[in-house]
Amino acid sequence: MGCCYSSETEATEQDRSERKPLIPHPNPDSKPPNGTERSPPGLSSTRTDEQALLTSILNKTAMSIIDVSAADSQGMEQHEYMDKARQYSTKLAVLSSTLCQKKPAPLPSLTSQPHQVLASDLVPYSDVQQVSKIAAYAYSAISQIKLT
Amino acid sequence: MEATLEQHLDDTMKNPAIVGVLCTDAQGHNLGCRGSLSDEHGGVVSVLAKQAASLTKDLTDSPTVCLESDSGNVLVRTHGTITVAVHKIVS
Repeated sequence: MGCCYSSETEATEQDRSERKPLIPHPNPDSKPPNGTERSPPGLSSTRTDEQALLTSILNKTAMSIIDVSAADSQGMEQHEYMDKARQYSTKLAVLSSTLCQKKPAPLPSLTSQPHQVLASDLVPYSDVQQVSKIAAYAYSAISQIKLT
Repeated sequence: MEATLEQHLDDTMKNPAIVGVLCTDAQGHNLGCRGSLSDEHGGVVSVLAKQAASLTKDLTDSPTVCLESDSGNVLVRTHGTITVAVHKIVS
């Protein structure tokens, strides 16, 4: 069998770079001066992270928000208003005439002799009754299908 | 469990004028079919029956939808939760 690994061989430069940790160990040399004085570092750092995150979200929202109530609205004069109304109505008239030209696709024709089809005999009532009975029997047959 | 329904469909087909029969549930799922009517007609049949039922305010009155053509008629009727379609040729 072959050898997958042997510690006897010398570590090459390539090996050292392969084995170098990706995330360097934070502060391996520092030691806490007094265990009781220091607050748990993990908890306070998460708190500040959260605060920072919330603040950033708040800033982003404040920058992208558009406040319509604060906008200054300038009144329009009467002649301007009439002018605009006339412009809009003419534009609408032009658009509505162009839009109306789109017609829906016509339905396919089912018969070339509609008079014959319409004048032919009605569906016999006995057939309707027969189907009604078939449906009733089918329903009772299906209601017999039960989960046990 | 479905033997009764299957037998009923076979008995229906014994009628010489009937060339197809189909049973679906309210969603158009095929519960049983014979002859000229098959799986692919389930959806259309159930929707036709449902739309026809919405035309009347009387909930007890179940309408029979008749599709007439030169070769025969397809009659569709709902009973309870199932819809039945029968293809009958003109005799």
